[in-house]
Amino acid sequence: MKGESAIKSRQGRGTSPLPDVRGYFGEFGGRFVSETLMSALLDLDRSFKKAWRESAFRKEFREILADYSGRPTPLYFARSLTQEMGGAAIWLKREDLNHTGAHKITNAVGQALLARRMGKTRLIAETGAGQHGVATATVAARFGFDCRVYMGSEDIRRQALNVFRMKLLGSEVCPVDLGGKTLKDAISEALRDWSRTVQTTHYLLGTAFGPHPFPLMVRTFQSVIGQEARRQMLSREGRLPDALVACVGGGSNAIGLFHPFIDDPSVRMYGIEAGGRSISPGDHAARFAGGSIGVLQGTRTYVLQNPDGQIENTHSVSAGLDYSAVGPELSYFRDSGRISFDWVGDDEALEAFQTLSRTEGIIPALESSHAVAYGLRLARTMSRDRLIIINLSGRGDKDVVEVSRLLEQKEGTS
Amino acid sequence: MTRSPRTLPRWRRGISPPPLIPYIVAGDPDLETTAEYLALAAKKGLFAVELGIPFSDPTADGPVIQKATQRSLRHETALENILAWLSGIPEEQLPPLYLMTYFNLFHHMGVTRFCREAHRLGCIEGVVIPDLSFEDGILYRKVFREHGINLVGFVSPTTGMDRARRIVKESRGFVYYVGLMGTTGSALHVTDETRRTVGMLKEWTQLPVCVGFGISSGAMVEEILQFADGVIVGSRLVQDEENPTKWKETFEEFFSAAVKGKG
Repeated sequence: MKGESAIKSRQGRGTSPLPDVRGYFGEFGGRFVSETLMSALLDLDRSFKKAWRESAFRKEFREILADYSGRPTPLYFARSLTQEMGGAAIWLKREDLNHTGAHKITNAVGQALLARRMGKTRLIAETGAGQHGVATATVAARFGFDCRVYMGSEDIRRQALNVFRMKLLGSEVCPVDLGGKTLKDAISEALRDWSRTVQTTHYLLGTAFGPHPFPLMVRTFQSVIGQEARRQMLSREGRLPDALVACVGGGSNAIGLFHPFIDDPSVRMYGIEAGGRSISPGDHAARFAGGSIGVLQGTRTYVLQNPDGQIENTHSVSAGLDYSAVGPELSYFRDSGRISFDWVGDDEALEAFQTLSRTEGIIPALESSHAVAYGLRLARTMSRDRLIIINLSGRGDKDVVEVSRLLEQKEGTS
Repeated sequence: MTRSPRTLPRWRRGISPPPLIPYIVAGDPDLETTAEYLALAAKKGLFAVELGIPFSDPTADGPVIQKATQRSLRHETALENILAWLSGIPEEQLPPLYLMTYFNLFHHMGVTRFCREAHRLGCIEGVVIPDLSFEDGILYRKVFREHGINLVGFVSPTTGMDRARRIVKESRGFVYYVGLMGTTGSALHVTDETRRTVGMLKEWTQLPVCVGFGISSGAMVEEILQFADGVIVGSRLVQDEENPTKWKETFEEFFSAAVKGKG
């Protein structure tokens, strides 16, 4: 009897969903944090799963995304760009049209609703490009949380506009002067804050990274991107796209777009990392090109590390991709072969930044420019009847000062 | 030369070594000084020393240890090189050692390979890994055990009762009670809850229950030893690590407090 019912329940479940109960996607993931944080993570895991089962919670989440953030975001056919490339039809998922200018707001809304349910009064966040920091500061203002955002001092320099926005929204921006002074160091500092304040504070992690349940939770919230894109493409073209392209820092815009298509074998997926100046240590953030499996900031995943096991600093023209590790679920799908990864360097990304601005009148974020650059490469190799969706994860307003500086520098040297 | 790993006796019962575990960052300011500190600890007959191996991203550490880590982070102080360095130190100049660092360094070397080499050295009693959670430890506890390397369990003020009981049961060597919420080096205030929790942990295990994080004076050591089996002193000593004269003074203060507190 016992054996039969066990078999039955196994059949009922089908392929077991990932992550497993311990937060692993195959061999990637986990909860590599200090014991002080464990009770908060266990609590978060329970609260998230319970909330997500409730239709009232999902309804409130959807309504706020609609009225406050402007979802669904359009799926836009980039006609001029397509003509110029002369290959596959290029469609842009316009996450840049979200309130605050990027996909980050979606996750921030979801986690803020959860933090409120859990009775937390304070939010902390890390930020690289500042988009997640702005999104967190925004929901903190909207829902009445105290808020502090940790940001590397190098990123503060190159993303001054977003620093001002966060302050305007009533958040404190805390500069981090350690290590490479970028995203990785901001995450470490946020983890330290959390271990002091865990009883009143929710750590609103900005990407599908870190200890379980963050990768699961962020993916769940961001999957709205792929769900919409799927519906939109089916209604416009009557079929699924042939390829999806997204840039990958931690990976939340990528897994958000990809996940609803994972079981559609005809849809190819490309995650694009930052190739920086070159694929040599310290010059890039292409974890799948130069990294190996390690454990960093709560999760087991692909990491850029030196032969001694020390984490390497990274470089990218885009602060949001400038990070030494990648979300565990993407590592899993990379090793399983479901998602392909490649990289685009600083120069090619800057070129795509200008190309999209000129041909479509859309200024993309430098992060998203990496996906655009690869999408253009890909489109040229595919026939005209093929469909590509590029995730335009954010807009480039925040980057114009830095880009003008870089372009002037270039003209000066050429 | 292989020594069989010891199990720590409960320090307050009968004759036992001074219940002080100093934390020393390997290579801060250089390995010669570290060797000197270790030799002193061995001479004093301390039960154990936590030897910190610098890691680039010490997420559980406060500013003092972060800075020491940055000072000492170099190829010479990589985990494998520290093991090689230890093998060259005469046995009588080494106290029983617990290596303390973040999990990536063990993972990178390979946990099995690390255990084999650590066991061969004989002076390494165990490991203290702040970011290896009880849950993720499931995958590695067996390997440490098979090689006789103690994997120390952490309990913190946020740990629930049932969970604490399970952690204590699986802990080896000693039990590390993190006295405060936060990173190393914040200020600890001993409360009734600290006393209650440590008392409870001691009922569940024969292993010594040691309190660490935020212990900044001899008086505090004496206070804690009224109810705990041992104290771990980190940041306060690391703060003086660059200056051997000052370090030894501070060490003496903690050492005499520990001897007094035990009595």
